[in-house]
Amino acid sequence: MQPIISIQNISKSYGPIKALNNVSFDVPEGSVFGVLGPNGSGKTTLLAIIMDVLQSDGGSYSWLGGIPPDAARRQIGCLLETPNFYHYMSAYDNLAVSAALKRKGMDDRLRVLEIVGLTERKDSKFQSYSLGMKQRLAIGAALLDSPKVLVLDEPTNGLDPNGIAEIRELILDLNKQGITIIIASHLLDEIEKVCTHVAILKRGNLLLNGPVNEVLISEDQIEIMATDMILLENTVREMQGVKKVNKTEQTLQITCNEGITTAHINEFCLNRGIVLSHLSLRKKSLETKFMELTNQ
Amino acid sequence: MFDLLQIEWLKVKKYNTFWIISVLFLILIALTNHFIISGIMNAGAKGVSVLGADYSFSNVWNKVCYITKVFSGLLSVIIIILTTNEFQFRTNRQNIIDGWKREQFFHAKWGVVIVLSLVITLYAVLQGIFFGLSGGSSFADIGNNFINVLYVFILTLNYFGLALTLSLFLKRSGMVIIIFLLYSYIVELLLNQFLSAKLHLTLGYYLPMDSSANLLPVSKVEPMSSMVINSAYSTQALIFVSIFWIGAYYIIGRIKMIKSDW
Repeated sequence: MQPIISIQNISKSYGPIKALNNVSFDVPEGSVFGVLGPNGSGKTTLLAIIMDVLQSDGGSYSWLGGIPPDAARRQIGCLLETPNFYHYMSAYDNLAVSAALKRKGMDDRLRVLEIVGLTERKDSKFQSYSLGMKQRLAIGAALLDSPKVLVLDEPTNGLDPNGIAEIRELILDLNKQGITIIIASHLLDEIEKVCTHVAILKRGNLLLNGPVNEVLISEDQIEIMATDMILLENTVREMQGVKKVNKTEQTLQITCNEGITTAHINEFCLNRGIVLSHLSLRKKSLETKFMELTNQ
Repeated sequence: MFDLLQIEWLKVKKYNTFWIISVLFLILIALTNHFIISGIMNAGAKGVSVLGADYSFSNVWNKVCYITKVFSGLLSVIIIILTTNEFQFRTNRQNIIDGWKREQFFHAKWGVVIVLSLVITLYAVLQGIFFGLSGGSSFADIGNNFINVLYVFILTLNYFGLALTLSLFLKRSGMVIIIFLLYSYIVELLLNQFLSAKLHLTLGYYLPMDSSANLLPVSKVEPMSSMVINSAYSTQALIFVSIFWIGAYYIIGRIKMIKSDW
């Protein structure tokens, strides 16, 4: 299956600052592709380059099998950085400009306004909108005429918790309909809930990319305590399948091979006369993994 | 180009500031013309009239086109506002994201420049016909000095093109308006004086805005002024240089739009 976009060796500098350094990856069709990275890692710069808002210093990209970039952009719904609309125009009229630029009909405007909950305010001027409403309108504009691809840069900016949950549901729903979604965000919790693939950037360098379940293998940790912590540590270190034992202030955190469960640990300790006073399984979050990767 | 202009129309048709400024200008231009052609506004004192009320077409075209020139510098503010709005609202980026090529954005703005120049020129034509006929001139004489209308079109293209180019480079409306007005009313005058008085060169006549402004000199409304102002240039040369400047704005602006980050 040909990728939705193939990015090859894209570089970009702002004076002495290297914003992107030979970044290459493909976005598979039908994926929810997360572009992650700490502030200043180059996420928005990368998205701005593939939308032709910024010029790269080197490298290339190819949308939808290599069709002309402007034709590709007309099939893409994109929210980049901030909602960009004419302040003196209503939401409804602003969507008319967006639709005309995309060479689409005007009939879809009410549908997208309904999706983003702005039907009642459709005739209000954009300048009278709150930040959250502006963000919703930008998402609505991106949804005009059911695009093949959605590119969303921090789509939950300015939204309240309900709004964030709604956007998450919307993304999952659109993806089920076959729309590929490229999403840049620093809200790792949100990304973790929706993404099938990720690319992680740090200071313009691509650290890794691929399917979430391959590149971010979740190494669960088991946390244990006993009266005699020294004996406990020496004992679990002898157990087969235990890869790593970390000592914290009060507990031991154990990283095990696949197949080792809390029951195995409990049984092993009991067989050696140790009664555990605490035993719990801690799922490693994307955030922990992300911090490990970007702090290296 | 028609498709691009249709989208530009969507942008301006609900823009009250644009309509208020435009209507205000159109009224003021017509009023000024009426005052001068009918002799209400005059040059001279103590009952001596230099201008006088003259409704012959040769006089009407001279005056209408000269007054249009005077207002064209201020009218350029409309182009500046329409262009810098795009940068202020960052809709220039959104236009590209939604599917325009960078050249299309640039050409759309030039489309606005051309349409506004045509509208101003047409407005001058309508006023000329109105004032000429209402003063009793014969329609058969309408062609006398009608060439001035062509000069108005060249001049507005030149002024609006310069306003557009400055807007594309500087992006902030306040700064562009101040720089444009300072340049058009002060800097060119100083440069002109320096080139002619100090260096004894005629280059001053061919500066970006003066090249077109000199197509419609003040002698169009005050014939006596030609006795004291030495005009050492040819109309053909002024037309050629004006077109050169318009071409230069287009090329410089296009390179800027295609090569730079938005």
